Amino acid sequence: MGGDMNLAIIEKEGLRLFVAEILRQKNTVVGVKDQSAVSSIPGDSGFYTYAPINSPEELTLSFDVTLIPPKKYLLPAYEQLLTFNLSPGSIKADVPKEELIVFGVHPYDIIAINQMDKVFSTVPQDNHYLERRKRTTIIGIDPVKVAPRAFWSSMGADTVASGFDLMLTDIGQCYVVDVGSKKGASLLKMAPRTREAAPAEVKERDKVRAGARKRCDANRLSFSYLELPSLLDGKEEHVIWEEKSHLCFSCGTCNLVCPTCYCFDVRDDVSIDLKKGSRYRTWDGCLLSDFAQVAGGGNFRGHRADRYRHRFYRKGQFIYRRFGDIACVGCGRCSAQCPSDIADPVAVFNRLKEGI
Amino acid sequence: MSKPRVAIFDFAGCEGDQLQIVNLEEVVLDVLGRVEIVTWREAMKEQSDHYDIALVEGSITRKSDEERIKAIREKAGILVAIGACATIGGINCMKNFQDEKFVRRYVYGDKAHWYNTYAARPVSAVVPVDANVHGCPINREEFVQVLKALLQGKKPFIPNYPVCVDCKKAGNVCVLLKGQFCMGPVTRAGCGACCVTEGAYCWGCRGLVDDPNMDAARELLGRFGISAGEAIGQIRLYDGYREEAR
Amino acid sequence: MGSPSPYLPGLATIMKIEEQTAMEKLFMVRPNDGKPLGHKPGQFVEVSVFGVGECPISVSSAPNKKADFEICVRRAGNVTNALHNLKAGDVIGIRGPYGTHFPAEDLRGKDLLFVAGGLGIVPLRSFINYVLERRKDYGRIIVLFGARTPADRLFKAELASLARRPDLEYLETVDVGDASWKGNVGVITTLFPKFAIDPKKTYAVMVGPPVMYRFAIAAARAKGLADDHIIVSFERKMKCGLGKCGHCQMGPVYVCQEGPVFNFAAIKNLEEALS
Repeated sequence: MGGDMNLAIIEKEGLRLFVAEILRQKNTVVGVKDQSAVSSIPGDSGFYTYAPINSPEELTLSFDVTLIPPKKYLLPAYEQLLTFNLSPGSIKADVPKEELIVFGVHPYDIIAINQMDKVFSTVPQDNHYLERRKRTTIIGIDPVKVAPRAFWSSMGADTVASGFDLMLTDIGQCYVVDVGSKKGASLLKMAPRTREAAPAEVKERDKVRAGARKRCDANRLSFSYLELPSLLDGKEEHVIWEEKSHLCFSCGTCNLVCPTCYCFDVRDDVSIDLKKGSRYRTWDGCLLSDFAQVAGGGNFRGHRADRYRHRFYRKGQFIYRRFGDIACVGCGRCSAQCPSDIADPVAVFNRLKEGI
Repeated sequence: MSKPRVAIFDFAGCEGDQLQIVNLEEVVLDVLGRVEIVTWREAMKEQSDHYDIALVEGSITRKSDEERIKAIREKAGILVAIGACATIGGINCMKNFQDEKFVRRYVYGDKAHWYNTYAARPVSAVVPVDANVHGCPINREEFVQVLKALLQGKKPFIPNYPVCVDCKKAGNVCVLLKGQFCMGPVTRAGCGACCVTEGAYCWGCRGLVDDPNMDAARELLGRFGISAGEAIGQIRLYDGYREEAR
Repeated sequence: MGSPSPYLPGLATIMKIEEQTAMEKLFMVRPNDGKPLGHKPGQFVEVSVFGVGECPISVSSAPNKKADFEICVRRAGNVTNALHNLKAGDVIGIRGPYGTHFPAEDLRGKDLLFVAGGLGIVPLRSFINYVLERRKDYGRIIVLFGARTPADRLFKAELASLARRPDLEYLETVDVGDASWKGNVGVITTLFPKFAIDPKKTYAVMVGPPVMYRFAIAAARAKGLADDHIIVSFERKMKCGLGKCGHCQMGPVYVCQEGPVFNFAAIKNLEEALS
């Protein structure tokens, strides 16, 4: 699926009615909103976030990037895995059952989700993630606005061939819709007045995509991202790790906002009467100082520079060797949100390429 | 099994942390179902010298405080410092950087000679502390978490990572991205980034993480045009004792 | 599709607890479903004390047909502390076994040099006992054991009986002796000059604290052992045991998946292997 044969057209008003119909049929929908609409903090305006949508008017499709990627719906910041009774001991798994439609996901974030799918479906499979994924419908949207720090065009993440149920492209007066799955096709039936895309409209879509790609090219890797695994070979002792990490707060922001970072901690919680409890996982990050610390106190990555280096190797080489993916999709979130502005993969990788 | 006996004590502080305990609301009855509170000046008349867990609010700022906290330490199986004044010294330690006589006169006027105060310090500067519930004031949820851990005989989970982690999990816009200063990157998390979530910035009330990157903090402050003096002032707002202790 | 969650432990009952040292206890555990764990020497399990948490622990007993197995636990953090406070009859959770195992089959007919530093004896005990149950299948066996002090020595009676065996050479040392200690004093590498090996036939199998490897590997190499004749087992924070949570990574390697047992030649160039 995903070929031109499946391209449909939905008018702007049709999309509004489509969203309204999805909501009317009691689906849970999350989509992109201006952060100030969620936080009620006026200064938050201009930043975007995924949040529950209750009417089509709440939905923003012309965002540049969200603060936190949609991974928060597939691997929530806090996720209950098990519940148990302490005495007598008994335990059961808590596997998610909620259906969710995520409306408005950029291609780079879909690629990141595809990567997570691989990680969690690798044996031993993680059913908690996989169940959630199975129950999540992804409606993609091609970006028009490009975030200042984004560089997805040089990470092969400007378009995506699979992983979405529907993919929208805003070509001005209407959207071109690519149907990526049976689920997407049946969802699209809820949309009024769809029609097959005309060749000119398909061309227009290509133009829109090329335009965004060009804008994104303002900030790019100076080489093909496919060279990253070999570029990193033998760079373990490069001065850049020490130099850049000198200003690292070990705050984990780069990990937590990354759409391909999936590391987590597991903790137990108990009821106040200590009779029952739950085991949950929560986002963790390899930049945090205690990430590799064992119970006896030993820390296997106790130095800031080692943690800093580990992340770049993970993005550019480790995940590639394990799963065949470059684990950076160029969303630019780490780069934009790092307090010390030392997390930008473009700056680091380009400098390694220059060899200085 | 009899319920653990809990005593709550206050030293130099505003009693805001005890107020947080009073305000536990929906869980207060559950907590009272698990422990027996035997001493609590703020909330009850009775007193007892027999207790298993002592919850101590406030910093130590008089010789007489020292004797009192040592006596409490001897009686308590577990001693928990609650609130910034008790855990890190807190606001009280701001006076440590001023002339003691001046401060005393400023506060107590012509009665200053009645008071024999000295530089304020956290509880742990005087006696060993088994657990800290950080914050100004304490976070009620975290207080309950710590209490549960102690009842289980387990070391409470007190994060050693910055508030940025809590901020990201809360989905906040980074204050720095909005061009404002924030203590979050060097401040110990565990508060759920409540201040940033409410639209403010992090003041650093939980104290610094174990290994704060002060070079990075200086660089950050410089970027916001904050002088070294102002920066030190910001840290001393709560965590001044830390630099004295060094 | 089996269990609904890979994080769901099976319930198991503590059958017996034996104090080893002030810091370590040996637990005999029986899965409540009565099925043997099915582990191989060198593998680990994730042990749950419900409400406290979960942590990785090496299986210390050799595989057998019975359901009971043994874990030896050092009091180090919340979960292990809680384990130490349990008593026989208490129920815990067990997931696993996980990870790679010592290459028992491939080592048939070879001479084996076991190097156990401190708690490293725990997983090695599983393999040593496995080998001794099949003594004829293996060549010469040398066991080196090092502890910090005489009081820290684990499995004292068992090791003493190893020492008495005619078909095995046993050498031990402590870093710091005491009044009662008559044996060797010094780190484990001080035992190496006391024996000779045929490096072509010998494989070293070593488990110990991180600091031990660099020195013990150097000592093994000095005896002529090639790197692919050195088998190690690494400790890391194996939180999930499933290659997901990320805590146990050693560079690109997930120790809970590709390890904890490694052929040294395969990982010696990894930046984070020897810390």
